Amino acid sequence: MKFRRTHVFAVAAVASLSLGVAACGSEGPSGSSGTDAAVSADAATMWGLTGGATETVIKESISSWNPAHSDQQIKVDWFANDAYKTKVRTAMGAGQGPTIVWSWGGGTLADYVKSGQVDDMTSFVQSNPALAKKFLPAVLKSGQVDGKTYALPNNNVQPVILYFNKDALAKAGVQAPKTWDELLAVIPKLNAAGVAPLSIGGQSKWPELMWLEYLTDRVGGPEVFNNIIAGKPTAWSDPAVIQALTMIQQLVDAGGFVKGFSSIAADSNADQALLFTGKAAMLLQGGWIYSTLKTNAAAFVSSGKLGYTTFPTVTGGKGDPANVVGNPANFWSISSKATDAQKKTAQSYLADGMFTDSYIDTLIKAGTVPVVQGIESKLEAAGSDKDFLVSEYNMVKNAPGFQLSWDQALSPGTADTMLSNLDQIFLKKISPQQFADTMNATLGK
Amino acid sequence: MATSTLPAPTAGIPTRGRRLPRLSFTRPNILGGLGGCLWLAIIILPVYYVVVTSLKDQASYFTENPLALPSSPTLDNYRLVLQNDFVRYFVNSVIVTVGTVLPVLVICFMASYAIVRGHGRLLRLTNSMFLLGLAIPVQAVIIPIYFMITKIRMYDTLAALILPSIAFAIPISVLILTTFLRDVPKELFESMRLDGCTEFDMMWRLALPLVRPAVVTVAIYDALQVWNGFLFPLILTQSPEKRVLPLSIWTFQGEFSVNTPAILASVVLSSLPLLIAYMIGRRQLVAGLTAGFGK
Amino acid sequence: MTTSTTQAPGGGATASARPPGRRASSVTAHGPSLWFAAPALIIFIAFALIPLIGVFALSFVNWNGIGAISWAGIANWQHVLTDELTYNALIVTAKVMFFTYIIQTPIAILLGTFTAGRQRYRAFLAVLYFVPPLLSSAAIAIAFKALLDPSFGLGAGVGIEALSQDWLGNPDLVLFVVVFVIAWQFIPFHALIYQGGVRQIPTSMYEAAQLDGANRVQQFFYITLPQLKYTIITSSTLMVIGALTYFDLIFVLTGGGPGYSTRVLALQMYLTGFKANDMGAGATLGVILVVIGLALALGLQRLGGKNQSASQLEGA
Repeated sequence: MKFRRTHVFAVAAVASLSLGVAACGSEGPSGSSGTDAAVSADAATMWGLTGGATETVIKESISSWNPAHSDQQIKVDWFANDAYKTKVRTAMGAGQGPTIVWSWGGGTLADYVKSGQVDDMTSFVQSNPALAKKFLPAVLKSGQVDGKTYALPNNNVQPVILYFNKDALAKAGVQAPKTWDELLAVIPKLNAAGVAPLSIGGQSKWPELMWLEYLTDRVGGPEVFNNIIAGKPTAWSDPAVIQALTMIQQLVDAGGFVKGFSSIAADSNADQALLFTGKAAMLLQGGWIYSTLKTNAAAFVSSGKLGYTTFPTVTGGKGDPANVVGNPANFWSISSKATDAQKKTAQSYLADGMFTDSYIDTLIKAGTVPVVQGIESKLEAAGSDKDFLVSEYNMVKNAPGFQLSWDQALSPGTADTMLSNLDQIFLKKISPQQFADTMNATLGK
Repeated sequence: MATSTLPAPTAGIPTRGRRLPRLSFTRPNILGGLGGCLWLAIIILPVYYVVVTSLKDQASYFTENPLALPSSPTLDNYRLVLQNDFVRYFVNSVIVTVGTVLPVLVICFMASYAIVRGHGRLLRLTNSMFLLGLAIPVQAVIIPIYFMITKIRMYDTLAALILPSIAFAIPISVLILTTFLRDVPKELFESMRLDGCTEFDMMWRLALPLVRPAVVTVAIYDALQVWNGFLFPLILTQSPEKRVLPLSIWTFQGEFSVNTPAILASVVLSSLPLLIAYMIGRRQLVAGLTAGFGK
Repeated sequence: MTTSTTQAPGGGATASARPPGRRASSVTAHGPSLWFAAPALIIFIAFALIPLIGVFALSFVNWNGIGAISWAGIANWQHVLTDELTYNALIVTAKVMFFTYIIQTPIAILLGTFTAGRQRYRAFLAVLYFVPPLLSSAAIAIAFKALLDPSFGLGAGVGIEALSQDWLGNPDLVLFVVVFVIAWQFIPFHALIYQGGVRQIPTSMYEAAQLDGANRVQQFFYITLPQLKYTIITSSTLMVIGALTYFDLIFVLTGGGPGYSTRVLALQMYLTGFKANDMGAGATLGVILVVIGLALALGLQRLGGKNQSASQLEGA
């Protein structure tokens, strides 16, 4: 009798637990868990990145889309940049990735394609000719893998720009450097005036990459990285790469970067804070931070204290000084694991919901340049941001070459190794030659 | 036990009422007192900094002295955090914690009872297995757990947080409970059995009341671990609806970016529930943990 | 062996009332059955034991998290065991373990002894002391990140140049910062354990020592410490095994950086699996983590004596 009682009790305990589990677990992979009353369970999901103009434009776009398309709802979840890159893979691996997937094109997109995670959009684009004609052709290309379209651009051009704080420079009595030698010359003067010459988000690592990308391009031209992407043996040992790394370490030795740069995270915009509070004089960052600055340091921007220019030239370098590095744009892809209804919603949105007039206006108002053609007049009419936008637009338009950020162009595994080793370079823990050797071992992987 | 006429202080029971012959010398322990105050400063300073900064607005954070009291204190940061779904994260944390601790208490008590009172190779094997579990670092097995959870379609649910948490709470809970159960004299059980009680009855009516301090210890320790758990939520959940408190303050960093005062406000708010519980149940907490781990 | 003085319900009935032969058979026939332990066993096997086997199995596959899983043989093992980063992670973990132990234990013992004292002000202080372990590691890490900011944190506030160091960005300093924050969080917890241990020491011992003319310091070294033997073992076990698994705090505070200077093994495993997307190698590191954990646990158990099954009221 006792045996049966405990037997029953134990079984009941496990059974009730499993029932509870089953109840919770039955919210299967059909997308969102539907606690949001206004959005149905079969809504397409979208993951947006927080911060900057894109967050604003996505929010506005979706909030005007959803009421107008009650049977094609889209639910947005927000993530910070660094967190997104990890989370999206975990989610995809769990079969719970978003319907509409954000990416930077390049190697990550290629990885998604290889793993069969995103749909081929070529036929979709062909049946919507108006769609393809909207975008800047160079940008469209970044969304293609092996000639097929897997992603469509969704926001603004993002070249990397050298920003500076006019007051901080004036305090030391210097001008924004136009050449590398000038940059080295202003460093001691700025330090003497109590201002850090360069801010940088070292903890996030990819801001450090901007230096390597520009210097390599200035010194050796775009072919250097093209060789790396092509997987040519010992491509990383190219003298241009070695020299660029050496120049970076020269900059560190000269006290060019703000003290503590290794622990400054770009995700929390701490690197920008140093710039607009005047603790640092210059910051090499993407075009997107202009709109973040407008939000977080409105007075700083509107009073004209923010300066911007192209990356310094290197005397004797082979690269065209008008070359630009950065991200052509960000892209949306459609998850191959989504339901048919979700995919249709996604396609409708991509065809009709993006780059409407108000979409373009929102991007411009936030201080960014949309990746569509024929907006010159709108940019000219952009009010106080006109100068920045027009110069950014021209920078991109006139650039002979626009190099995609290396950490997006390379495969994720290689990118991770590269960033870690670059971090070591900035920390003076390894030599340029060691960097090249380590990276050469990753070629062809 | 030599010449003492005073009973030895038993574990955890405060003996505050007894008037001991004063051990201390006439001069107070200055060094000890100083050390104590120094440690207090070390504890308090970060807390002070966090609270003070959370009351500043963003502009003054950048301009004022970080340690100074805010010139124009504001509760806007707290308002911002509460508006950002803070309550939902709190509720999720409660669900996960209660959903873990209650089952743990029940099944571990039962298992510990079986281990201490039972016989047979299987039970001894079970005990060794649980003890071995103490040495398994959670981080080491997170990849297979992620894989398993996705395969049984439980990714991004609160249950995905509860089940592994229960599993990993079992070793320490069983260890504490068995340690206490072993102190219950066998004679008591024998006499109950002679009265015709089943093992089941004995478990609930005799053993449970006798090891209540251990149960309290286990409950508190496990609740602390689960409430503040970060790794499982980080990997096994993604949507804001399933977010728990520790994860939420991590994501606030991205949402609030440079707004450090707001981020610190979220830190304060997320710590408040446990601090309040501590204020209310302090004596229980301290007595429980002392008793449990003192053995 | 002194029995505890709890009230036994059927007071007088002792073993002597039962005939010896019957006692032997009743004991073996009437224990609680395995079913009592079944729920715990099932969940433990499902979510702890099977993953343990799983991590071992996964170390032999190739998986990037979103694609298909393919057999890799011993490739992951070769890669991980020859990877400089693995050994770096082991060294960093060992350093963290070592430093957190030698910093936390003495302070915790002293603090525990201090708060075990009966003075009123000490009880008040003890209340405040116990706040850090209640905070989540994420909260503490974020708070310290802000506090240690060279431009806007403590150093800037107090104005002392030395405090405005690049605490979190300097590879040589950051390890000690991490150790400090860990100690800040966990010392009070261990102090509590020691407090319990000290309160168990019979005052008669101190009285006897005082009569013999021992001063406070001598009493501490000759009475308190030896009596704390079991407590030290418990606390040390928790500390050492815990040190192997510090993740949350370091992840939020430094992310393993700058460079690799705070990449403990657990973090290296996470970053390999979820950031570099090499789940197979991540699982391999996981196996290493488990092996080390088991070795440490067994070693500590050996060191601490095998009295785990006996009642610890012996010797009181």
